[in-house]
Amino acid sequence: MPTVVVMDVSLSMTRPVSVEGSEEYQRKHLAAHGLTMLFEHMATNYKLEFTALVVFSSLWELMVPFTRDYNTLQEALSNMDDYDKTCLESALLGVCNIVQQEWGAAIPCQVVLVTDGCLGIGRGSLRHSLATHSQRSESNRFPLPFPFPSKLYVMCMANLEELQSTDSLDCLERLIDLNNGEGQIFTIDGPLCLKNVQSMFGKLIDLAYTPFHAVLKCGHLTSDVQVFPRPEPFIIDEEIDPIPKAINTDLEIVGFVDIADISSPPVLSRHLVLPIALNREGDEVGPGITDDTEDENSANQIAGKIPNFCVLLHGSLKVEGMVALVQLGPEWYGMLYSQADSKKKSNLMMSLFEPGPEPLPWLGKMAQLGPISDAKENPYGEDDNKSPFPLQPKNKRSYAQNVTVWIKPSGLQTDVQKILRNARKLPEKTQTFYKELNRLRKAALAFGFLELLKGVADMLERECTLLPDTAHPDAAFQLTHAAQQLKVASTGASEYAAYDHNIAPLQTDFSSSGTERM
Amino acid sequence: MGKLHSHLIAAFVWGFFFTVCNYFLLLMSVFFFRKKMKIFSESHKTVFVVDHCPYMAESCRQHVEFDMLVKNRTQGIIPLAPISKSLWTCSVESSMEYCRIMYDIFPFKKLVNFIVSDSGAHVLNSWTQEDQNLQELMAALAAVGPPNPRADPECCSILHGLVAAVEALCKITEYQHEARTTLMENAERVGNRGRIICITNAKSDSHVRMLEDCVQETIHEHNKLAANSDHLMQIQKCELVLIHTYPVGEDSLVSDRPKKELSPVLTSEVHSVRAGRHLATKLNLLVQQHFDLASTTITNIPMKEEQHANTSANYDVELLHHKEAHVDFLKSGDNHTGGNSREGTFKETVTLKWCTPRTNSVELHYCTGAYRISPVDVNSRPSSCLTNFLLNGRSVLLEQPRKSGSKVISHMLSSHGGEIFLHVLSSSRSILEDPPSISEGCGGRVTDYRITDFGEFMRENRLTPFLEPRYKIDGSLEIPLERAKDQLEKHTRYWPMIISQTTIFNMQAVVPLASVIVKEAMTDEDVLNCQKTIYNLVDMERKNDPLPISTVGTRGKGPKRDEQYRIMWNELETLVRAHINNSDKHQRVLECLMACRSKPPEEEERKKRGRKREDKEDKSEKLGKDYESDKPWQESERLKGLLDREKEELAEAEVIKDSPDSPEPPNKKPLITMDEMPTVEKAKGPMSLLSLWSNRINTANSRKHQEFIGRLNSVNNKAELYQHLKEENGMETTENGKAGRQ
Repeated sequence: MPTVVVMDVSLSMTRPVSVEGSEEYQRKHLAAHGLTMLFEHMATNYKLEFTALVVFSSLWELMVPFTRDYNTLQEALSNMDDYDKTCLESALLGVCNIVQQEWGAAIPCQVVLVTDGCLGIGRGSLRHSLATHSQRSESNRFPLPFPFPSKLYVMCMANLEELQSTDSLDCLERLIDLNNGEGQIFTIDGPLCLKNVQSMFGKLIDLAYTPFHAVLKCGHLTSDVQVFPRPEPFIIDEEIDPIPKAINTDLEIVGFVDIADISSPPVLSRHLVLPIALNREGDEVGPGITDDTEDENSANQIAGKIPNFCVLLHGSLKVEGMVALVQLGPEWYGMLYSQADSKKKSNLMMSLFEPGPEPLPWLGKMAQLGPISDAKENPYGEDDNKSPFPLQPKNKRSYAQNVTVWIKPSGLQTDVQKILRNARKLPEKTQTFYKELNRLRKAALAFGFLELLKGVADMLERECTLLPDTAHPDAAFQLTHAAQQLKVASTGASEYAAYDHNIAPLQTDFSSSGTERM
Repeated sequence: MGKLHSHLIAAFVWGFFFTVCNYFLLLMSVFFFRKKMKIFSESHKTVFVVDHCPYMAESCRQHVEFDMLVKNRTQGIIPLAPISKSLWTCSVESSMEYCRIMYDIFPFKKLVNFIVSDSGAHVLNSWTQEDQNLQELMAALAAVGPPNPRADPECCSILHGLVAAVEALCKITEYQHEARTTLMENAERVGNRGRIICITNAKSDSHVRMLEDCVQETIHEHNKLAANSDHLMQIQKCELVLIHTYPVGEDSLVSDRPKKELSPVLTSEVHSVRAGRHLATKLNLLVQQHFDLASTTITNIPMKEEQHANTSANYDVELLHHKEAHVDFLKSGDNHTGGNSREGTFKETVTLKWCTPRTNSVELHYCTGAYRISPVDVNSRPSSCLTNFLLNGRSVLLEQPRKSGSKVISHMLSSHGGEIFLHVLSSSRSILEDPPSISEGCGGRVTDYRITDFGEFMRENRLTPFLEPRYKIDGSLEIPLERAKDQLEKHTRYWPMIISQTTIFNMQAVVPLASVIVKEAMTDEDVLNCQKTIYNLVDMERKNDPLPISTVGTRGKGPKRDEQYRIMWNELETLVRAHINNSDKHQRVLECLMACRSKPPEEEERKKRGRKREDKEDKSEKLGKDYESDKPWQESERLKGLLDREKEELAEAEVIKDSPDSPEPPNKKPLITMDEMPTVEKAKGPMSLLSLWSNRINTANSRKHQEFIGRLNSVNNKAELYQHLKEENGMETTENGKAGRQ
């Protein structure tokens, strides 16, 4: 989940804060202090997060594009100038563009808006934006809700009382509402000072940037892992099941399936599963791009040499071309597999299926999957040449069952011509002729299109008269018989127009000899 | 085909003309709102009410040529006069097409109740899932037959059907029932909404108003009834879609009206549509609106020509599916729809280009959604060619047509068990790019994982569906997935992860025992095999066969042969002991093992080594499960040992392979140090009196004289001569170990 930090650099952020002591702080210093803390936290505990920094006043600027280099972000914080007034709408629009250009519309992003709660004046102020919200057309749509899944965190460099003295808080709350309620407003508890800013950012970190630790289990084989990015809680049905479901911290492997059988399933999200070594303080050692201290290095080296189940699992999944199905919670499943980033690098990944008893129709209900040893004979075959998957649905779809659709004239014409083509090859094509004829008859009866039956009957009678002298005598009998049967059906009389009735070929002396000849 | 198209263009232009503005607005509004899921929305229940009154027998006055002349047979034959469908036929086939598309894309949880109305209401099916398919509906419609033009128009009315439709909406579906039972006290959360699509021939706008009033009143009444019933549900929301249809060429007596709220429960809209293909087009649009569908046109499909089998032309096929499959286009505004005017209309379709599949390679794509499709023109040759190709198990990647720049694969068509899905592939930048390789993390430097063995383990623990319910002995329902978990638990009770942690799993000779001991229940034959395995090991020991125990990392020659066997027997015992509670037969295997394994030397060994070793053994028993140590100094000592070994190995092999990615090195000598062995010394199992006695005698005798080497190594009292020659020829390593493993 990439993060965009949107920092207010309007003049109001330079308002001084009265702090006991000699040094004088401005609100922007408090903001920078809080962000520094956030960046430091990410650099140690959330290294793989991509973060971008945007500053805004009446204009906005992308100071640092998405990066994992927290030094750059930190440097940018100390190089910010002061500008004019706050204009939130354009900044949010900018965020839309930046995120969509980089990640498209499907990847969830967290937007951390740092402001002092002064929402600007006149055109472009948040009040103005909200006031005109209902009169907008599609072309100048308000940027919220963001067109990508998002969380909007508003970090106010002001305390609650200050915000409540104006309508700022209401406006910000409406902002969250506009984002479909996805987000939260943070304010400073008590007087504005470094300590209270820290505790506010601490709350944000707890909420949004704590690494997700879990235990991967396969029977007695286990490994401590970090799952990145954090799996987000999911709402199955807002009406029936409005409570968000979170995944277990025990990820229990339930069995294995071949990649060909799981067959590129749709997933909600995918995550790296990084083995970690938990030490006494509970900090992990292991995942991360760079390691700063030598201590960490040696700790990593030691951890690298202790056998780990993740590595074994990954290696075997990769060699065998399989995935491990993993239970994430009650009626919630996912899969573990090896994902190659390049020729050399590869990783253990976990994808989450949509919660529910049957996330993939071709596997059936997950609870009904059992070990092959319980089956009478190995469903994969002795030579591993079969598979019990995919499951076949009870009813075939229209494209797999030769349905009759006559909405376009071409559909009808094709069906009639098929009959005609076979009629001309009687008696060799007797079976197909009657098959097509019965298909047409059934559809015509269902659609109440009796006129067609009469028409086709006429046509068959005409064909009968056009038979060449060389024609087999059985052809004439069959055509006449078919025509007559269609005619009686076209009366709609129940005894002849039964849907389940099929016109059978006429039994003639010729027909038996005909089959003999074949 | 070209000729046909021009016909269709005309049809489509008119068909779309009236609705296109509405349709556009609808699409625009969905661009930015990803609807949250609701099972029981209006589209859960759809009631079709089709007018079966005498005037519906009237012709739609749109002719169909059905007697198409075939080349070379035209002389002197006048083709049969074209025929035309009745209003009824048009209504029925259009509504069937609506249902076809709906069932293709939503085979479950979207239900249709079909009602035909004349002098009374004929309800053709129920809400049950078994009734939800085209065959059932077609058969029921055939039984009803076309309307009788000579029936008395006075006693026929669409009102009967509308009343029945409201009744039907109050009836609970199996899905609603299930949801209510599972929610228990929150049962009121289960919604009851529905849609009535009524196809009729109305007389005037006031007639339409009368129909709406009737529906509203009926809902009011039935909601009162439902309030006092357990089997019925009150209607919370009903969408009435009135379609007035009339013969082509006539003036419509009814005017179109967009959706309007008549009451908090009822909304109504009126569509006035000419019969024939106009009606079909209207219902096609409605099914897209009602079920949030969108259209994708697959372009550039190469297809063999019917006449010229060796040439192929490119065709387009239009598919419908849930609009979420276009979520990336909709949100980014980057849709490729604007310019598509293949049919000369404003039809919204996203064009994607066919990419001819290279091979049948099995790949796991990152897929963010999969949606069932339905071809718009199901029976056309291009459509059926595409669907058959997919049903035969091939997958097709689809590319976004771009004027310039790189090729972007955004979707994939693939069938699973006879159903075709449009998969949405992620084409944006990955947030997981450039992750640390697994070889850089914990356990990444270990090079002797039992990758092949775990692969075998995974294949044994593959899953298969059990559709028939199975019961446990106590009569309770057995959940197959729980069985799968149980099996994993059993199979991993003793499972060393690396080659140097194990001896027995490196020995072919142990396989027959190791593969059956993990079973929940063993047959007598299994027990026999286990016993044979144990006897075989005893033989090997007597012959003094070498074991695949590594000497790497130990100074000198490594453990002596008898020490090796001691390690092996200990490990085997650990394995068997882990399973003794499974059954009595497992117990029997342990008994056999205990009886057979030689003990005396070990006993002495114990005394010699003293207590310190035992500590270590206890600790190493934990290996593979638990790395946390309450004695940190020991831990670090052990790690140092590991590092030392690693260094030596480095010197020997020069390179450390990137273990997880490469299959384990061939013929790799297992690493082992004595102290690392997961030997377990627990209380010994029972020993037979005979073996106790013979052990005693043997020990006593052995003190009196030195046993002949030949007799010591003999099998059945036959000693093989010149064994040392064999050893020198290098047979040693291949004899009993799994030398051929890769």
